[in-house]
Amino acid sequence: MVQQEVIILNRAGMHTRPAAAIVKLAAKFKSEFYIEKENMEINGKSIIGVMTLAAEQGAKLLLKFDGPDETESCRAMVELFQSGFGEPVE
Amino acid sequence: MPLNHIKETQKKSITVGFLYEVNKERLRLRTLNGEVGFEKEIRDKNIHRPGLALAGYVELFTYDRVQIFGNTEMRYLNHLSKQERLHVFETIFSFDLPCIFITNDNELDEELVRIATEKHVSVFLSPFETTKLVYYVSDFLDDQFAPQTVLHGSFIDVYGIGVLITGRSGIGKSEIALDLVERGHRLVADDVVMIVRKSENILIGSGSDVVKHFMEIRGLGLIDVRATFGIRSIRYQKRIEIIVELKEWDPNIEYTRTGLDHESIAILSVNLPHIKLPIFPGKNITVIIEVVALDYLSKHYGYDAAKAFARRLDAAITEKTKGKRVIDYFDHDFE
Repeated sequence: MVQQEVIILNRAGMHTRPAAAIVKLAAKFKSEFYIEKENMEINGKSIIGVMTLAAEQGAKLLLKFDGPDETESCRAMVELFQSGFGEPVE
Repeated sequence: MPLNHIKETQKKSITVGFLYEVNKERLRLRTLNGEVGFEKEIRDKNIHRPGLALAGYVELFTYDRVQIFGNTEMRYLNHLSKQERLHVFETIFSFDLPCIFITNDNELDEELVRIATEKHVSVFLSPFETTKLVYYVSDFLDDQFAPQTVLHGSFIDVYGIGVLITGRSGIGKSEIALDLVERGHRLVADDVVMIVRKSENILIGSGSDVVKHFMEIRGLGLIDVRATFGIRSIRYQKRIEIIVELKEWDPNIEYTRTGLDHESIAILSVNLPHIKLPIFPGKNITVIIEVVALDYLSKHYGYDAAKAFARRLDAAITEKTKGKRVIDYFDHDFE
């Protein structure tokens, strides 16, 4: 199990398009992927799950990976979050 | 998380303001001192009737609970002289009370309300009888402080039985849920099922307010079940009665063949029947899930197919009647 805390950087938050990008990236890996926000934990491979979090700019999330490629999966996902999903961050 | 690793959470506190806002209409509450003390926190799901504390005995006084003044408390206060009454109030307000409910629309002296306001404690008035108010407030607090969790799965009411379908991402839970909806069953939640434990052994599942009855079908995207199939295809919450776990067929796992031995799984410390369904092409999971629900209903009404069959077999063995036709002679029924 690998865990990493991330912060939502882009202004619009984790809306539909970033949510889709997250689940698409997660699906490339075998590891289980969970996201925790304020004590609520959802399956990061489910777009409905990711959107349920309704994470706004500045929200803190805990990413959890469990499986054979957890390290690579974590690295790629953290990168996606740090890029602000390629959206404006101001 | 997988079924054997569930993150259980519990609210630590709610504010007095929240308690008031949610219940003001149902309990016909009036506040006697505005929004004073609305930010105060309630941390205990129990309520307290402070009869003994009013009489001056404050040892073990559970002051941090919601305080309810029924007829007994009010009669007692009213039979005191004004001076005594003020003294009693000074005493109980030396404790940090969260809030006070007065039942039966009993009047409270202005001075007493003033003391409550000074001490920053909300006083609510309700026309309800004490027993009723106690019941409603306790039930509400019980729900608010109940253990809860979020599970990944599809939750559907099948013939009135709450069936939670779980299994790894992409195994086809949503597709099966959609198929069940098409056959007239009602979707409670897809993908994100929020679960609360009611009393000691009841689990209630519902969807989240953001997602409501949307679901994702791979290759199609998001669909709104309510808008597509109408009001009869959904419901907001349902007791969870059976867990059906979908698994890829694995020759190394033994699946039940008779249904005589029941497996169960504990979710929030509540044991539920746990059915592991192996899936492979050509298998109609939807129908099997309907049968799972019907079989559960049968058992509930006293008929257990596996046991009935076992009994018949036992009888056949003792009577040595094995291998005969159902009926010996059909009497020209050539159908």
